[in-house]
Amino acid sequence: MSATATGKKKNQWWRSYAIWFILPALILYSVFVMVPTFSSVYLSFTSWDGLSSDIRYIGLDNFKEIWESPRVHNALKNTIIVAVALVLLENVVALLLAILVDQVRWLRNFFRSIFYFPVLMSGIIMGFIWMIILNYNFGVVNQLLDMLGLGAVKTDWLGDPDFALLSIILSTVWKSSGYYMIIYLAGLQGIPQELLEAASIDGAGKWKQFRHVTFPLLAGATTVCVMLSMIGSLKLFDQIAVMTNGGPGFATETLTYIIYKVAFGEGRQGFGTALAIVLFALILVISLIQIRVLRKREVQM
Amino acid sequence: MGGKAKTPVTAGSYLVFAVTLAVAVLFAFPIFFNIMSAFKSNAEIMRDAIAFPQGFYIESFKYLLTETEYPKAMLNSAILTLGSIAAMIVVIPMAAYAIERTNKAWTNAVYVFFLFGMMVPFQVYMIPLFKQLNLMGLFGNLLGPIFIYIAGSVGFGVLLYTSFLKGVPREIEESAAIDGCSRIGIFWRIVFPLLGPVTASMVVLQGLGIWNDFLMPMLVLPSGQTKTMIVELFYYVGEFSSRWDMIFAGTTMSLVPVLIAFLSLQKYFVKGVSSGAIKG
Repeated sequence: MSATATGKKKNQWWRSYAIWFILPALILYSVFVMVPTFSSVYLSFTSWDGLSSDIRYIGLDNFKEIWESPRVHNALKNTIIVAVALVLLENVVALLLAILVDQVRWLRNFFRSIFYFPVLMSGIIMGFIWMIILNYNFGVVNQLLDMLGLGAVKTDWLGDPDFALLSIILSTVWKSSGYYMIIYLAGLQGIPQELLEAASIDGAGKWKQFRHVTFPLLAGATTVCVMLSMIGSLKLFDQIAVMTNGGPGFATETLTYIIYKVAFGEGRQGFGTALAIVLFALILVISLIQIRVLRKREVQM
Repeated sequence: MGGKAKTPVTAGSYLVFAVTLAVAVLFAFPIFFNIMSAFKSNAEIMRDAIAFPQGFYIESFKYLLTETEYPKAMLNSAILTLGSIAAMIVVIPMAAYAIERTNKAWTNAVYVFFLFGMMVPFQVYMIPLFKQLNLMGLFGNLLGPIFIYIAGSVGFGVLLYTSFLKGVPREIEESAAIDGCSRIGIFWRIVFPLLGPVTASMVVLQGLGIWNDFLMPMLVLPSGQTKTMIVELFYYVGEFSSRWDMIFAGTTMSLVPVLIAFLSLQKYFVKGVSSGAIKG
């Protein structure tokens, strides 16, 4: 009896405090995330230049332009190349790093820190360092090629449209793999040693043990890492800004980069928001697939 | 792991160690190269990028610290990072606590509303936000980015805190309430200290993200007085395009705090990754 009485009293009390506890977060979140997000949706149907008070409604013209513009197609192509390449390379490298750290006998924590540290760097700083390492005249890579007598292979890694995107991809793999390594490492350390011993008693070699025992048991870690690296690659920005500024020409322009350039460099903010909506749709679709896949796995477990 | 330690050292162990070491050299080189180059003069860098510094050249550090706005930019970055984090770990756990402990339709709706924000990347709302800050008079003011950082981390933060709060028993809170402790007192004195692990992850993850952030501060803090360190460095790459020694000195100075934080809080950085793994 007394329990219901205090329960009732408690309920009223809860209500009065909950509002005040939630309000600051709710206001900030609404004003600085939700209002501009919805403004974006609205602005994507206008030809706004970002300055004039004249915001003209132009219907679906921006989206029509996106559909037809070769520059946007190129950016979309680059985005897909970057996403596929980064997902594959980051995960393969991360898994190899995790296996090395897991297997190595000495200095395990030291190695883990070395592989992880680039994750902590800003894309701007990391981009700058690589820009100089890859510089045609004074860079480390070309200097090493000279020393090895491979001067003929020397290239302007960031100035040549054939190599600029590749250079950005490879330096990003260097920067991000350590993050996924930590997740794989946790997965590896969760695999019962007995399973591998049993497999080896059954005559499975190292490769077969990995292929048939270790790798299937890392499925959870793999899903998480693939999805995270996919979304991370769609948001890639800092490296491009400092290393190539989208160039040479439009060779390294991705969707995130073109949004920035169109809106703040070319004064076409209506068009920029329309591109942003396309990016959002892309990320939303991938997130939904992610939730789907993760749920499916949960059921299996 | 215990099992591994008992296996004898074989040729294989040395091979694995050698391979790991080689890969580690490859991974550490760019950072080593950065710090090494910061102590070389520009002429030295241009002459031979790989060579060790001839002396301990610190002129670029001196120049940056006395002749440019770099110290100011460092201060701005520090204010922005510390200010945002401090506000974040007040505002977000309070909201999460109220949402988790009040199981009402409206709090559930707020929760879903917050989670939606996790899926919206900054690029989606940055263009109107830029204009909005102008209208609010926050453009070029450090307070603007602080609000934006808090708002941007509400979704992720509330998710982290509510899932942790599910495992925190209510009994202590109830007995404290009976003893006449106010709700705010219960939260700060009893609940908040129990949230330490989540708060540590938030501080580490968000702090690093803010310290390293580039796009947003570049857009909303463009003037000399309020630029952050990373934005300042970005402009140096254009301005001092032939003075690499300056830029190397600048990047080294921005890496040092990260390195110190990493070495002293390593445990939380590694844990932060696994909690960050649920962020979409």
